[in-house]
Amino acid sequence: MDQKLEGKPSASLRLDGRKVTRGEITNHWGTRLQWKVSRDGKEIAAVTAGPEPAFEHADTAPGKYEIVLQQFHYVGYAKDKDGKFTTSKYVDISEPVSYTV
Amino acid sequence: MLHIGNEHIPLCSGTNRRSFLQLGAGAMTGMTLANLYKLKAAGAVDEKKARIRNCITLFLVGSPGQHDTWDMKPDAPEDVRGKFKPISTSVPGVQICEHFPRMAKVMDRVALIRSLHYNTGSSHENGQRWMMTGHDFNAANKQPHMGSVISRVFGPKGDLPASIVLPVGIGNTGTSTPHGQESAFLGSAHAPFFLGSDPARADFKVADLEPPKGQTEFRVEARRKLLTEIDEVQRQVETSSTLERDTAYARAFNLLTNPTTKKAFDLNEEPAKLRDRYGRNTFGQSCLMARRLIERGSRFVTVNQFDTVFGISCWDMHADGSSLNNTYADYEHVLCPQFDLAFTALLEDLQQRGLLEETVIAVISEFGRTPKLNARGGRDHYPSVWTNFLAGGPIRGGRVIGSSDKIGAAPHDRPVTPPQVVASIYQAMGIDLETTMLPGPGGRPIRFIEAEPIRELFA
Repeated sequence: MDQKLEGKPSASLRLDGRKVTRGEITNHWGTRLQWKVSRDGKEIAAVTAGPEPAFEHADTAPGKYEIVLQQFHYVGYAKDKDGKFTTSKYVDISEPVSYTV
Repeated sequence: MLHIGNEHIPLCSGTNRRSFLQLGAGAMTGMTLANLYKLKAAGAVDEKKARIRNCITLFLVGSPGQHDTWDMKPDAPEDVRGKFKPISTSVPGVQICEHFPRMAKVMDRVALIRSLHYNTGSSHENGQRWMMTGHDFNAANKQPHMGSVISRVFGPKGDLPASIVLPVGIGNTGTSTPHGQESAFLGSAHAPFFLGSDPARADFKVADLEPPKGQTEFRVEARRKLLTEIDEVQRQVETSSTLERDTAYARAFNLLTNPTTKKAFDLNEEPAKLRDRYGRNTFGQSCLMARRLIERGSRFVTVNQFDTVFGISCWDMHADGSSLNNTYADYEHVLCPQFDLAFTALLEDLQQRGLLEETVIAVISEFGRTPKLNARGGRDHYPSVWTNFLAGGPIRGGRVIGSSDKIGAAPHDRPVTPPQVVASIYQAMGIDLETTMLPGPGGRPIRFIEAEPIRELFA
């Protein structure tokens, strides 16, 4: 019985300076959460989002930062020859927030 | 799907009861629930003995590697220590994998056993038999599942079966030998009730608690009345064992038609926030259902995290590039996070409801995994040492029983065997293993388990 994750998780984000705080995650799949950090439109980090709701990215290089909460959407365990999942992937579960350094 | 066995119950006309019930509308699968209640019908339950604690067993099918979860070896060579890093826990000096951050906070309530081992083979089924029965055996000499033992000796507390397996039984894990989730010589009446569907699905229903397709509850009730009339005729010509069965069938109908019983399986009654806390996945929602069933009178609930090791994301990390291609990626993105969320939710939920003191949680698996990573970066079966753990009931948390050597290849001190874990579960449930006997094959009294409990779990 392979599990089917139904519905879609979501969480709201609040920005305070460079600190991002997430609200409760509804429809939590239980899979790994991560903060995806982009600067000037380019992804620069994907950091594990643990039980603590707040996150502040350490990078202070100048640019426009965008942060979004993502969760791993397990669809199937198939992987390519490099070991990367082929159908399962991270999906956004929040609206992005942004700030400029 | 319900698995209660295939007991053949003859009527004096030569027609058996099952085939009678299959006449007409046919699928009367709910009838076989009757087998669950034979013991109580036979008056075998001593109500004083019945005041025992409950148990929820989380069976991690496939088996996590000890190096990558609860017995990390950060100082070992790279091809032994693996990819993950340890984190500190609420218990000074005890570290676990970084992907269990919630569990790290509740380690003071968990007792790790880091020196489990056996040497009778390394198939999944070997380990399943050991950890779910306390024995290894073959198909000709089956031993009963712990839940069946509890059902046989203590019976059900109410309308729910004493032993329930969620969400489904273990299927293909490699060989066709027994898995240890059967009632064996205790008879089909004590086989676990298998939920048979995924409680995380939006369309989830317990198939065997629904009237068979095409039948209304009215028709089920009409069928019950007809059966009662036939039973009355039978009762005059058959033995007392028939009476036991009659009562059992009556209780099966009660389970089929009792709204309270059906509600026990209805997760929609739980707050959405709590369902989220467990995780909206098969394992998380099964853990939540386990709590509901214990709360409503079941004594022993087993959650099989998976029913197979093939073609799904599970703990069996051979990384073989084919049907056993679980890797660190599965551990990191799926397995560890889902376990961390569900296990801690269960622990906290039971505690908040005042149920943790009367409920033992046993997290068990088949074996450990090889100390050295294989050529593909996976780990293979390794029963020579691994870690499982207990919590709840009288279990003293915040401690580690036994240890493995520097590379997690063998017990270093306090070796523990599967029967000792099973004996500890029984003792934690409040069963006096010196005075409580189990009717063995042929009714001969036998001990629950030929092993001593792990005393450090209780001291």
